[in-house]
Amino acid sequence: MKKVLLVDDDVDFCEATKLLLDSKGYDVVLAHDGKAGLEKVRAEKPDLVILDVMMPEMNGYDVCVVLKADADLKKIPVVLLTAVDQAFFKTTYTRAMGLMTEADDYIAKPVEPGELVKRVEDLLSKK
Amino acid sequence: MLIQPSINILVVENDITILQRCRELLLDEGHNVRTAECIEEALDIIQKHPGDVDIMLLSLELPGWAHMTLIETLQKARREILIMTMSANCGEEAIEAMHAGAYDCIRKTFTADRFRIKINRAIEAFRLRRQLDLLTRQRQAEFTRVRQDANLYAILQSFSDALVVTDWQTNIVLFNPAAASLFDLTEETALAHPVSVSIKSDELLSFFIRAIKSDSSLAMLMADEEPVVKVGNKNLRVYVFSVKNEGGTVIGAVALFHDVTKVSAMDKLRDDFLSMVSHELKAPLSSLLMQISVILDGLAGDLSPKQTDLLGKAKEKTKGMITLVNDILDYRRIQEGKSIQKIESLDLAKILQRTVELMRLSAEEKGIKMTCEIAEGLPSFNGDRGGLEVIFVNLISNAIKYTQQGGHVNVSLNKAGKDIRFKVVDTGIGIPPEDIDRVFEKFYRIKTDETRSISGSGLGLSIVKGIVEAHNSTIFMESPPGQGTTFIVSLPVEE
Repeated sequence: MKKVLLVDDDVDFCEATKLLLDSKGYDVVLAHDGKAGLEKVRAEKPDLVILDVMMPEMNGYDVCVVLKADADLKKIPVVLLTAVDQAFFKTTYTRAMGLMTEADDYIAKPVEPGELVKRVEDLLSKK
Repeated sequence: MLIQPSINILVVENDITILQRCRELLLDEGHNVRTAECIEEALDIIQKHPGDVDIMLLSLELPGWAHMTLIETLQKARREILIMTMSANCGEEAIEAMHAGAYDCIRKTFTADRFRIKINRAIEAFRLRRQLDLLTRQRQAEFTRVRQDANLYAILQSFSDALVVTDWQTNIVLFNPAAASLFDLTEETALAHPVSVSIKSDELLSFFIRAIKSDSSLAMLMADEEPVVKVGNKNLRVYVFSVKNEGGTVIGAVALFHDVTKVSAMDKLRDDFLSMVSHELKAPLSSLLMQISVILDGLAGDLSPKQTDLLGKAKEKTKGMITLVNDILDYRRIQEGKSIQKIESLDLAKILQRTVELMRLSAEEKGIKMTCEIAEGLPSFNGDRGGLEVIFVNLISNAIKYTQQGGHVNVSLNKAGKDIRFKVVDTGIGIPPEDIDRVFEKFYRIKTDETRSISGSGLGLSIVKGIVEAHNSTIFMESPPGQGTTFIVSLPVEE
């Protein structure tokens, strides 16, 4: 069973998304802020990380940077998930653009459940 | 009636036939004519008889000379001489010469009448310029007195907008303190010098040149939306007017610079606010969509048919809200010309394929047959990925929205001449003929009994149009009554 770590501070979103991914046969682990997310990656060694961008403690970009700089962890595919609009604070966006090349995929919130499942499947089959 | 002194004209031409013809025509008109067959000879005449050359008729096809440098040098050294150029076809080189300071160009294949008209206009300009020079000199001499008693001057001085006045050669003749501090102008360095010396902006310079050179009326000039130019860290809205004498001849230009830096800052603030709000709206909406979806899929327990029905409607409304939030943001972006984020080489077939896959589900849910035909081996297209996706999604989702159960939506992509053509054909309710002209207007929605239950922001098509235009592409639609609607987007492929 493939293990998926979902890091998002929106607990409701996490709950519903866990139900969705559970039903597709994934083992879903949750974390609700960036720091906790990073610890969970180290502890659980998931097959895929879905990472919200706007989070307390540590934002998604920073978590992604740390993951991709870690020799042991950088092979784990990371999907950035965000409702941040591209026009939102240009500097943030410029950084995001740079990191998008480091992250393996990028999904704009809100996302259709079917679309989310498909992206997850695609990334895991690529691995 | 003023007796006009006769005009001294120097004709410089190496083609003897043309030289003679010019000479005869000018003598017939009663002018004093000198001729030169090469530029050395012409320069010699100018040197030996200062003040004896008013207008110089200069061929642009003299061998062995860089004409533009020559014109520029002459204009600097002997500003009082008005240079008319002659060339075989008055093409690029004539325009360049005019930029360098020449007044106009005469085609060498002239008729006697045409020649006379051109020469008379040049003489008129020469006289005006001489007058203007005189006035400028007088103005400089009487500067102090003028400063004291001219109310107009006082008004200009206290004007908070920067103001710069030039003569017809874009030499500065007047500026106010606001302009002085904005562009660092001083009387010594700026007055009587070309604008280009003090204001280092080709964009600004082009406005002055346009105001002076164009014969267009003020209204025509301002028909372009007022340009906003960045000078240093200031955003300036520029208004340029041509100044005409009583005879209607352009004798100079006035430019007004209005500082809109603060307005721009407000715009930025509003945008940041909008983006922030959109994030605060999108985050809960995405939870809502996910929650409703998993319940509908039965992942949180079995549902009765009625519950499924109601939740299905709730999901549609949620998706409507999401589209609305996205549309508002897209629309802002397009208004600001940010619709193109990044141009890259795109495989449109692949992008469309994926879009259709995503949309197929909602077509099937509505009982609409969706077909897709994509031609093989299409060339790649240089465009913005996000923008193209928006075009595809909006046009296809519109077709699905406005087509009833049992209908058909066909999407196709193929090559048509040099363009890639994207086409969406539906068998839907169509667009009433009286509404066809308005469908691309923002917030415009067709209101009939059939459309009442369909939700939308009325921004979708104006967004599509904005993106299409940003890609130098065209969008076309037709909707013959009772036969559904067709949208065609033609995307030009660069060679």
